[in-house]
Amino acid sequence: MKLTQLKVGESGVIEKVVAPEPIKSRLFSMGITKGNRIKVIEHTLKKETWGVEVEGSKIALREEEAGAIEVKND
Amino acid sequence: MIKAVMVGQPNVGKSSLINAISNARLHVGNFAGVTVEKKEVELLNNRLKIVDLPGIYSLHAYTPEEEVTKKYLLFEEYDLIINVVDANVLQRNLVLTFQLLDMRKPTILVVNMIDELEEKGGKIDAQKLSILLGIPVVLASAKEKRGVEEMVELILKGFKCEWKIYYNDKIEDEIEKISSILNNHFQNPDLSRFYAIRLLEKDEDIYKIVHDLPIFLELYKVLGESIKRLSIEFDIPDVRDLFAQERNALAKSVVMQVLTPPPHKESLTQKIDKLLIHPILGLPIFLFFMWLIFQITFQVGSLPMEYIDQVVNNFANWLKTILPPGDLNSIITEGVIPAVGAILMFLPNILLLFLGINLLEQTGYMARAAFLLDGFLKRFGLQGKAFVPLVSGFGCTVPAYMAARTLKNPKDRLITMLILGFMNCSARLPVYVLLIAAFFPAYNAGNILFAIYITGALLGLIVAKILRTLLFKGEPEPFVMEMPPYRFPSLKALALELWYKAKIFIKKAGTFIAGAAMIIWFLSSYPKNPSLIQLYEQKMESAKTIQEKKALEEELKAKLLEQSYLGRVGKMIEPIFKPLGFDWRLSVAVVSGLSAKEVIVSTLATLYAVGEENEKGLIQKLRENIDFKTAVALIVIIMIYSPCVAAMGTFYSEVPNWAWRLFYTIYPNVLAWILAFGVYKLLERV
Repeated sequence: MKLTQLKVGESGVIEKVVAPEPIKSRLFSMGITKGNRIKVIEHTLKKETWGVEVEGSKIALREEEAGAIEVKND
Repeated sequence: MIKAVMVGQPNVGKSSLINAISNARLHVGNFAGVTVEKKEVELLNNRLKIVDLPGIYSLHAYTPEEEVTKKYLLFEEYDLIINVVDANVLQRNLVLTFQLLDMRKPTILVVNMIDELEEKGGKIDAQKLSILLGIPVVLASAKEKRGVEEMVELILKGFKCEWKIYYNDKIEDEIEKISSILNNHFQNPDLSRFYAIRLLEKDEDIYKIVHDLPIFLELYKVLGESIKRLSIEFDIPDVRDLFAQERNALAKSVVMQVLTPPPHKESLTQKIDKLLIHPILGLPIFLFFMWLIFQITFQVGSLPMEYIDQVVNNFANWLKTILPPGDLNSIITEGVIPAVGAILMFLPNILLLFLGINLLEQTGYMARAAFLLDGFLKRFGLQGKAFVPLVSGFGCTVPAYMAARTLKNPKDRLITMLILGFMNCSARLPVYVLLIAAFFPAYNAGNILFAIYITGALLGLIVAKILRTLLFKGEPEPFVMEMPPYRFPSLKALALELWYKAKIFIKKAGTFIAGAAMIIWFLSSYPKNPSLIQLYEQKMESAKTIQEKKALEEELKAKLLEQSYLGRVGKMIEPIFKPLGFDWRLSVAVVSGLSAKEVIVSTLATLYAVGEENEKGLIQKLRENIDFKTAVALIVIIMIYSPCVAAMGTFYSEVPNWAWRLFYTIYPNVLAWILAFGVYKLLERV
C-alpha cells in the first residue's frame, strides 16, 4: 500500500520507491530505502505535506513524494 | 601543510566542529543547508588547512550547493577526507560514508554529537566501527569540545586505512570488468574502481570524464552489458536502486554491531512537535512567533534609543569645542556624527531582530516552519524550503541570495531570488522605525512594523505567482526536507553571533555610512553663495523682532540648501517622485538608499535637520514637512524598490544571465513607483 494510506502513528516497512530520478535518489539518501521502517508522524490539515520518521530521522515531504513510497503495513 | 576536506550529510555539525578546533566564526544553525559555500580555515600556524564543504546527502548531488561539494571532492587536490557523521542517525550517514570510501582516499570518521546519544542512554563502539570500516574513528562532540584534539592529532600524526568495504560478489565482478578497462587508461586501480562504481550508478560527471577517452567505445559496451546483467540478476529496473539497497543493508549490519541503541521513549522533540506542527494550531503558533519577534524588535529596541542619542549628541558637542572651528569641524560635528548617530540609535532594534532569526535557525524550528508553510507556498508556485532564504532575507538580502542555492530547480531558485527583495532586510528597519515613530501612534508601532513585513512578504508571493504563471511554466520542485531534532541554542554561541553582528553594524556605520553621510553633507553645503548670505544678513539686521529674524534665518538655510549641488540634483529628479508627493529632499533620500538602506535615515537627518541642536528634531521636522499619505508612499517605495548595491552585486554574481539581471534591476523600481502612486491616490480620497 501507499504510505499516504497509513494513519498518523502507523508505520510500515518500505517495499519500493517509485518516484522518478533524481528525487528517488534523494529519498534513498535520506534513508527512505527498501527494508527500512517508516512511520507517519504528522500531516497538515489538507494532507498536502507529510512528516515521517525513518531510521531515527524526521523528514518532511509532499503528498506526491509520500505517495511514491510503497510500504508493507503490519 | 596538510589539507583536509570536511564532508558529511547536512546538519551533522561540520562547521561547529571547525569552530570548536579553531577560532573561526563560521555561521552555524540547526537545519540542513546552513553552509552553502566552501570555506577554508587554517590552523596551528598553517600546518593544517581544513576546507568546510556544504553538507551533501549523497554523491548523487541534488542541489547547487551539493554540487559545490561533489565537484570539490572529484576535481580538487587534498590530502584527506574528514567524514563527519551524526551519532544519532548513524545508519543513514554511513550510506554516504560508503560512497566516500569508494574513492579510497585517506579518510577518518568523526562521529559527532555523541553527547546527545549518550545522554539518551545509547553508546557507540568506536574501536569496532574502526575495525569494520578499516579507517580511524573518533567519537566527538563539537558542543563539549570532545574528541576534537584527538582528531587533529590523528591528522597530524598520519594514519593508515584498509579498504574493507566490498559489495555483493556479483556486483564486484561487474565493477572489476569495468575498472580493468578504465585502468588501461588511468593506471590507478583505486581511481578506476571508483569510476566504475560511479558509472554503474549513472553518474553524469564521471560519464563526462570518460566520454572523450580512447577506451570509451569498449567501455560503453561493457558497461551496458554489466548494467543489463545486474538488473536481470537482482530483478531491479535501475542499478542505482541496487547500490542504494546494498549500502543501506551494509550500514544496517554495521550499526547493528557497533551501536547500543538508547531505550525507546518519546523524545522531547516528539512532544514539542505534537504542538508546534499540529495540523490546526501549527500555523497560528507560527504567526504568533513572527508577530512576537517584531513586537519585541520595536518595543524593547526603542527603550535605549534616547540614551544612545544623548551619548552621540554629547560626543558631537564635546568634539565641537575640541576641534578648531572651520570646515573640518562642521563636516564632522554637523555632517558625519549626527548621521552616524541617527543610525546607531537603531542598533538595539537590529540586534533583537537578528536574535529572533537566530533562534529560528538554532532551535530547529526553521524546518518546521517550512513544513507548515509548504502547502501555502505551493499555491504561489514555491515550496516549503524557499522559506529558509525568505526568512534570512529579513536579516540581510546578501546571505539570503546565497541560501537560495539549497533550491534544486533553477526556476524555483530564480523566482525565489527575484522576490527576495520584498523580504524587508534589517537595514530597512531604521527607516521604518523612524517613519513609524513620526507618523503612527506609539501603541500600535510594533503591529505596524509587523504589518509592513507581512505585506512585503505577501507581495513577494503574489509576484512569485505572477512570474510562475507568465515566465516560468512547469511544476515547482518536489519538497523533501529533513526536520532536525530541537536543540537548545548555546547561549555563548548566540551571544558571540550577536556581538559579531553588532561589530559589523558599527563598522558599517563608521565607514560606509559615515562616508556616504560625508558626501551628502558636502553636496548639501556647497557651493557656498556669499551674495545670498550677504543679502539675508542685511535683511536680518533690519529685522525688528526676534521671530522675524529667526524666520529669515530659516529661509536662508532653505535657500542655500536648494542651490547646493545636492539641491540641484534633487530638483532634477524631483519630477519622477512628484506624483507621490515627495519633495526633492525625499527624492534624494530614496535614491541615496540604493547605496545602503540606512543611508536614507542619515540623508533625511542631514537634509531636514541641518544644524538642529537636538536630534529629536528630526521626527518633528519630518512631521512638519511630510504628510501622512506621502509617508506611507515612502514606506511602500522602500519596501519594494531595488535593494542596496551589495545585494545587487550578489544577485549578479549568482545569476549569470544578462536578461534576468536587467529584469531584476528594473522591475522592482517600476513596481514600487506604481504601487506607491496607487496608495498615495487612495489615501488622497479618504
